Parts: sequence; C-alpha cells; structure tokens
Amino acid sequence: MQKFIPSLLVAAVSVALTGCLQSDKQDEKVEINKNPYPSTYQSLPSTNTLIRHATVLTGTGERIDNADVLMIDGKISQVGVGLSADGAVEVDASGKWLTPGIIDVHSHLGVYPSPSAESHSDGNEATQPNTSEVWAEHSIWPQDPGFQRARAGGITTLQILPGSANLFGGRGVTLRNVPSHTMQGMKFPEAPYGLKMACGENPKRVYGGKKVSPSTRMGNMAGYRMAWAEASEYKRAWDKYEADYAAGKNPEAPARDIELDTLKGVLEGEILIHNHCYKAEEMAMMIDLGKEFGYHSGTFHHAIEAYKIADKLAENGNCAAMWPDWWGFKMEAYDMVQENVAIVDAKANSCAVVHSDSATTIQRLNQEAGKVMYRANDNGFDIKPEHAITWITANAAKSLGIADKTGSLETGKNADVVLWNRNPFSVYAQAEQVFVDGAKVYDRFDEKYQAKSDFMLGQQ
Amino acid sequence: MKLFKTSLIALALATASSASADTIAITNAKVHTVTEQGVLDNATVVIEDGVISAINPDSVDADTTIDAQGKNLTPGLIGSMNQLGLVEVSAVSRTRDAGEEKADITFDASAAFNPYSTVIAYSRKGGITTNVVVPYGGSKMFKGQAFVADLSGDLDSIVSTNSAVIVDLGAKSKGSRAFEIQKLRHKLEDAQKALAKAAEKAKDDKKSEKEPKRDEKIINSLLSGEKPLIAYAERATDIMALLALKKDFELDLVISGAGDALRVAEHIATAQVPVIIGTIGNLPSFDALHSSLESAAKLIDAGVNVIFAQSGDTHNLYQLRFDAGVAVANGVSKDNALAAVTANVADVFNINAGRIAVGKKADLVLWSDDPFELSTKVEKMWIDGVEKSTTSRHDALRERYTAESELPRAYTK
Repeated sequence: MQKFIPSLLVAAVSVALTGCLQSDKQDEKVEINKNPYPSTYQSLPSTNTLIRHATVLTGTGERIDNADVLMIDGKISQVGVGLSADGAVEVDASGKWLTPGIIDVHSHLGVYPSPSAESHSDGNEATQPNTSEVWAEHSIWPQDPGFQRARAGGITTLQILPGSANLFGGRGVTLRNVPSHTMQGMKFPEAPYGLKMACGENPKRVYGGKKVSPSTRMGNMAGYRMAWAEASEYKRAWDKYEADYAAGKNPEAPARDIELDTLKGVLEGEILIHNHCYKAEEMAMMIDLGKEFGYHSGTFHHAIEAYKIADKLAENGNCAAMWPDWWGFKMEAYDMVQENVAIVDAKANSCAVVHSDSATTIQRLNQEAGKVMYRANDNGFDIKPEHAITWITANAAKSLGIADKTGSLETGKNADVVLWNRNPFSVYAQAEQVFVDGAKVYDRFDEKYQAKSDFMLGQQ
Repeated sequence: MKLFKTSLIALALATASSASADTIAITNAKVHTVTEQGVLDNATVVIEDGVISAINPDSVDADTTIDAQGKNLTPGLIGSMNQLGLVEVSAVSRTRDAGEEKADITFDASAAFNPYSTVIAYSRKGGITTNVVVPYGGSKMFKGQAFVADLSGDLDSIVSTNSAVIVDLGAKSKGSRAFEIQKLRHKLEDAQKALAKAAEKAKDDKKSEKEPKRDEKIINSLLSGEKPLIAYAERATDIMALLALKKDFELDLVISGAGDALRVAEHIATAQVPVIIGTIGNLPSFDALHSSLESAAKLIDAGVNVIFAQSGDTHNLYQLRFDAGVAVANGVSKDNALAAVTANVADVFNINAGRIAVGKKADLVLWSDDPFELSTKVEKMWIDGVEKSTTSRHDALRERYTAESELPRAYTK
C-alpha cells in the first residue's frame, strides 16, 4: 500500500550521501506528463450559419421567441431577434426550437458498447477495490454505434465513466460526440479528467462476494480513507521534491505511482470527483470525507436520495446528477421521488443535472428532463422549459468543469447547438440538426450528415 | 398547506381500494373506443357492476356523474412481459419470486403475486390497469406460464392464470440456438404422436387411457391452440423457424422481442403472428443488427399485429405510454399506438378489457390531455369500475421532504 515509501528512503539516503554536492549540480527535474494521450480532436468542416426564427432556450435560464442564433468560426457569435450576417448560411427555424448541445455527464458508451459482447465489456476493472490507475479512455471503442444514436438525440458532449464496481473505478473522460476512429479524435480539448468513485451496494457486493474488503459500508469508508491518506503522503512527497528542487537542492524524485497520480490530481483540484452515490446518509459522509482530506466531493451520480439533503448539497457546492424516475432495482434506489431533480434544483446555488447512464435514454435526455419538469409542476413547482434545459446543458457543463466552453448559447462559447422539430420537452420531439463547434454533425433529413460506425458498415 | 396535502395523501392511500357498486356515468369525454367506433367526441360512458353498460345512452341516470370536460378517456393500458407483483426490489433476493431454478413448463408464479407491492400503485400513475406477468423461470427452455393480474392492489387481483406458455429461444451464451428449436419441435412431434396413439387406442378398446402428465397436458393445449405460445426470439432465422413450427403444429404463436422482425415482416403478417416489441430498443445486437425506432411503424405498415411492452426493469412499467409516444414520433399513428397497449394485448391474452365497448371490464383512464405526452397525467382511473388512486409511497416521500417542520422529517407523516 505504501508503495512510494522505499524510494523515499532511497531518496533520503542518497540526499544524505551526496548532500555536499547538492549546490553544485541539479539532475534534470522529473516532470510528470499529465496529458500523455492528448486530444487530436478537430472540428468538422463548418460554414458560418445563421439559424433564424427559432424559439431559443439559451441555457442561461432565458427563452427568446422568434430568435436568431449566429455561429461564426465555430463559436456562438450572437443570439437575438432580427440578426443578419453576410455570407452565413441561413436556416429557417420557424416553429422549431433551439437549445445548446445536450451534455450527458454519465455514459458508458464505448466502454460497454453495442453490440453487447464479452470482448467489448471494458467498463469495470473489478479486480481490486481501488483502481484509480485505470482510465476509461483506454477502454473506449470509438465504433460503438451508440455514439451515432446519441448524436441523433442531440448529445454533443458526454463523459464516459468507468463502472461502479470499485470504490475508485478510475478516470472518466469527456468526449465531443463526433465520429472518429480514435479515442483521441473525440477527446474534449482541455476538459478536466473525472475520477469515478462508488458508494454503497456495488463495491461491497463485488468484493464482499470475493471475501475481500470491502464487504460492508463501513468497509467502503475505510477503503476510501486509507487511499486518501496514502495519496496525501504521496502528494506531500512530490510537493517536497518540487520545493527542494526549486530551492536549488538536488532531491531524488519520489517513485511514480500511476494509481496515486490520479488521487493526487484530485487533491490538487485538477481532477473532478464523480461519485456514484444513491443515499442521503452516504452522500453526507462523502462530503465530510472530502473535507477530511482536502478535496471537493464533486458531483453525486444517481443520487436517488439527493432530495433528502438538498440544502447540504447546495451549501457545499455539489452537483447531483439524477434520473427522472429509475428506481427499485436495488435497495439504495427504493426511495425515489419523481421530483428529485426539482427539489435539489430549488435551492439557491444548487447544481441539478439530469443524466442517463444508459445507451437508450441518452438518446432522449431532453425527455428525461421534461418528465421531471412536468411531474414537479403537477406537484406545486413552477418550472419553465428555459430553466429545465439547464439540467442537461449548463449545469452538466459545470459538473464536468467545461462551463467556460459549452453548455449555453453565450457569445464566445463553442457553437454546440441542437435544432428541434418542436418543444424538446415533448414526447414527440426530435433533433433535426446538431452542431458541434459550429459544424453540422447530424441532420435528420440529410444522409450526408448521418454517420455510420465501421461495425454497421456493409452489414446485411 | 403542505401538511394538509400530506394528510390527503394518507387518506388516499387508505381508501385506495374502497369498493362501489353504484353506477357511474362519465360524460362529455373524448372516448377512444379502440373499436370500429373509433373516437367519440362529447361521449358518455356508463359503468355498472364493474363493466361498461352503455355508451351514449339516450338518457343517463347514474349515482355518480363525472364531467370529463372533453378530455381523453381510454381503456386502461395493459402491460406485459414483466414481473409486476413478483418483485419489489430487484436486487433483494427475498422480494423476488419470478425465477426458480427448477421451473419447467408447468411453473405458475401467480401464487406469489403481491397486490401490495409499491410497484403496483406506482404503475397506476402510467394508466396501467391490467398486466400480463411472465416468470423468469429457470435454466430450462420453457420458463413457465404467464398470468394476468389487474392493478387494483386488492387480494383478488388475479384475472387469469396459465394464460400462455413462455419459451426462450435464440442466442445462447453456451451451446447452439439450433438445439432448442430442435428440442421444441421434437416435443411437439412426440406429443402429437402420443395424442394420435391415444386416440387410436381409445377407438380400439374404449378403455380409458391413463391421464397425461401435467407437462404433457400443457403441450397438448398448445397443439390444440387453446393456449398461446410466447416465444422470445430476435433473429430473423429464429422467427422463420417459429413460423414453420406454427404452420406444422397449428400453434397460437406470439413472438416477443422480435428485434430483427422487419426483415421478415411479410412472413409474420401472412402467418398472422402477433409480435410483442419494445419501441425504444434501437441499439444493434448480433441477433438484431438493424433494429430502429422506426421498426414499430414499419411492422404495422406491413400488416403485423403489434403489441408494445415496456422493456427493461419492471419498475419502469409506468413508462409504457411514453414508449408508445416515441413510437408515434417515429411513424406509428396515435390510434395504432393506443391499440398496441390496449386492445391488441387483450386479444392475444383473452382479457375482457382493452376496449371501451358494452360488456367490457370497466378499466378506464381519464387523462389530463394526450395520453402519450410527458406533460399529461392520469386524472382519474377505474379498475373493474372502481375508482383507483395514483398516489404511491413516492408521493408521501416527496411531501415529507418538501414540508416545513421544526421536528425531524420522521414526524411528518
């Protein structure tokens, strides 16, 4: 467990032996490459486009009727009424609705792809409870036809997470939903990594069943705490190395540990926590766990009981990513209420997100949000479409740490846009055109913009 | 105000099953009969003794009259192919009664049906009044038999048992799919021979034959067409093999799943075999490479009798109407979509419901608007003519956690 200690000892000894030489010469500084699999994403060919006369939900809580949206060089240039632009392709969107590109913070596309096959089941490294060293991006099969299906549903950005078998499942990665035959070709440039953690039933069932820890919820907590304690030591060792080196000494670098690199990234605020956690009492403990070790507890995923601690989530700045109505498949999903998202959302400074965790419902995340809005309004809430859209756009972008780049139709942001045939919160709603960085990536009525995965190509 | 609402819910939960023998007239409704009558505007439906006794009578003399204000009245929706009442929490083994390792063709899970399951009250929110429950069975090809239950939440919920035989065919994680199709054919052939032999023998010596075993009787009921055979199958080749069995043995065949049905839609239509499909499954498997959201519309256009079933976990049954809406968005007419969750199911499983017609069970739903729309809710519903609440435990939890109270939440009841 304390894997780096021996090398620290070696370092200490070597510093002691060579102490007299330290001012003479420094060895080359050991730097950790934090981006070894960099994005190669390039936006698809685009033209400047002016979409006119749409009902626009901006993602900032605003609705503008009969509005125009101008996309220039892949960015949102202007949103307003009566715009014009020389040389821009005009799209008449009379009677149609326009929203920011839809963002799903919880997907396993590519790591649990279709067709379901043993050979492609790459989402859970269920071999030990802490696998912070694995990265979901290394499992992604970019040919998963599910990516095309999701694009037809308006998904422009999505986070691919490892599964929830482990206390620490590994790193998640945020993708642009564009066709590519490499993972790097989809990777969202400069999006932070996520770290998947899991509370509750799954880890204790998976490892309890193997007669190893954790087999209880207290075992879960012990597992997190031991890992964070070790990560704190690891970070301290690297911080000391950095400080000593900066002071002109010639320290020996701590031994590299890929697992602890990820946890250290969290402690440094560079990697965001995405925590599969259903129950109120467990989320409350995970918030304290973050405080105990000095990191932010991030986004709670599934969060069936978030409504029970809505105040606490808002106070602590946690996002909660939820389903509208999934429940009952296990004990920790028993206390579902259909207004969960709305109750969380009603608090000041809240961050309510609707997620899918499904290759099927990711295709209709708009309707998933709609179900919440209508059920809440049936029961005393007054939620408007211009607000409900934030659950699958702006708030989702905030959860993923990319709110400065996408999630709303504000000037200068990436031109990620969906044109809907009608109010997107209707069961009959369909995305007609989808744009990522100003480039059309899907058109319901033009086969040219309907990508097909290698897997489907040439199938009888 | 919140506290008041909470007590209303408690009341609703307590009186959810109060019976009524009075006549009820629902007036001024947009009545979707799902019969040749089509849709009747400003219509009146009268309920008496749990059945529909009149539609648009000359005069109305009912104990209770409900003005529907022009809203949609449909038959109650009929769910199918799930484990309603047999599972409370899927991952809690002691609340599961749909599977049994030793289950065979005789397995009838209806004795385990729990009318007090919270899933039942919750499913009423989706306008579901009746459900065809199927067991998981065990490792054998035959999973047991379906039964029909209503969603009244009463002890007498079971409508009929041994309603259909379930057989699981198609892709296998071990072994070959051919083996089980072959086994099914052999079983039917052997039973047919045995019946012929018994008939011959009975003619010769007029001595009463020894009674067939339970499983033999069930196979015989398939051969006589008394009982439908529901076969899970996806790939076109499996469907064709089943159609051949139907032809050779004159089975009352129903295919469930049928992801690849579109390739052989004409054959299915010609054979008049109903198919039970999910409308939202559009991800490829090797058995159903081309399933798409348009499959439902194309099958219906090809003349196939289609039933929609909610796919996945039983707890999602209430979403059936939304799935029907997705089918409509992808080309199915609203009338056909409604039939696919009412009359078509009733026909296949011999349920006296699913249509608004005189003599049918008064399983009715009055909707705030379009039954398939996300924004619509159930305003009123009746099962066997008794009004039922759509309130469930979920509402009580919501009220508890949105109520104002100085005491811990546990005191808000």
